Amino acid sequence: MKTMSLIVATALLVGAAPAALAQDSDSAKVSVTGQVAKLCVLGTPSNAVIDLGQMVDTSGARVGKRAAIGNKSVTLPGSFCNFANSVVTVNATALTADDATPAQSGFARAVNFTATASNWASTNAVATTTVDRQGAGAATTGSGSVQSLPKLADIGLTLSGYDVPGDLLLVSGGYTGSVTVTLAPEAVPAP
Amino acid sequence: MKKLVLAALAASAAISTPAFAAANDTGTVGVSGTVAGRCLFTTNSQTITVGELAKSGSDANAGKLDSSVLVNQTKTLVGWCNKTASTMTVTAKPMLGTTAAPNTSFDSRIDLTASAVANSQTATDGSAGETVNSYTAGSPATVGIFSGNVVVTLTGASTPNNGILTEGTYTGSVDVTLAPAV
Repeated sequence: MKTMSLIVATALLVGAAPAALAQDSDSAKVSVTGQVAKLCVLGTPSNAVIDLGQMVDTSGARVGKRAAIGNKSVTLPGSFCNFANSVVTVNATALTADDATPAQSGFARAVNFTATASNWASTNAVATTTVDRQGAGAATTGSGSVQSLPKLADIGLTLSGYDVPGDLLLVSGGYTGSVTVTLAPEAVPAP
Repeated sequence: MKKLVLAALAASAAISTPAFAAANDTGTVGVSGTVAGRCLFTTNSQTITVGELAKSGSDANAGKLDSSVLVNQTKTLVGWCNKTASTMTVTAKPMLGTTAAPNTSFDSRIDLTASAVANSQTATDGSAGETVNSYTAGSPATVGIFSGNVVVTLTGASTPNNGILTEGTYTGSVDVTLAPAV
C-alpha cells in the first residue's frame, strides 16, 4: 500500500510540471553605436579685414610718425570645441609695407602690435609682434589657458599696442599684417 | 493409461477457452499534456554601428546631430511565438555619450525612435523625455503565432537641446520583447 501511494504522488508531480513552464517570454537587443569626433569650429569673423586707416600723423609734432591708433576688435561668434581641454592660440604677423623696398635710414616699413583673443578660458591668448624697422622677424604666437569643458562662446579678438620700431617715420603706402586664431586640443608634451 | 489421462485434460482445457473470451473488456488510458505559451528569440543580438554622428562643416549646424546617419538603419532579429495572443513590445533606449554636456549649448544624449516588425505587425517606441535607466516600452503589438524575422528599424533621432554633441562614443539600444499574452 505504501508503494502504491508513492506512485500516485509521482504521477501528480509529473502532471504539475507543465504549469511551471507557462508564459515564457524572451527579449532581444539591437545595440546602436556611433562616435562624435573632437571638433573645434571658429565662427566667421564679424569683420574679415581690420582697416586701421591712416596710421601716421599728417601734421603736428609727430608728423610722419605713428598716430594714435585706437584698439580694434573683431568677434568670432559661435565658436566652439565639443571636448574638454582645448586652447585658443593667436599667431600675429606685424604690419609691413606692401612695397618691399628696404626703408631708408630714419624710416621704418613695419608696425608692431598686440593681438589678444579673449572669452575662451581664464587666461587670454596674447601675442605681440617684434619685427625690426625693415619688417624682419618671425610671427609671434601666444596661447591662453586650458578650457577644461566643452565650450561655445563668442571669441573676441582685439588689436592694440601699435608700435613702430624706433618710433621712426613710416614709409608711405599700404601695409598688411595678419592674425590667425586657432582653437585646438591642448598640446600634450612629448614623453 | 497415464498418457491418456493427460491427453484428456488437455482437450478439456482447449474446449473451455472460449468461455474466458466473453469476459474481456476495453479500458482507456487518457493521455493529456499542455504546451505553454512561449516566445523565443533564436537570434537575439545585433549591432547597428554608424560612424560620425555630428554634422561637419562650419555653419550654424556644425557639430550638431546628423540624424540621417541613424534614421532607416535596420537589423534583423529572428524569433517565434506559439500562442495566438502573443505580443511584441519595443523599448528604445537613447545613445549616451562618454563626455558630459556642460550646459544646454551641448548634448551628450541622442534619443531614438524605433520600430519592430514581426508577422506583419509593428510595435514602436521612442526614448525622448524618459529618465536614464527608467525607460518604458511602447504599446504592444499582437503578433500571434509566428516564426521568422523581427525587423528593427531606427525611425528617428534627436537631441534634447538641438545642441552641439560632445565628443566621444555613443551607445544605445533598441530592446524587443516577445511575450505570450496572459
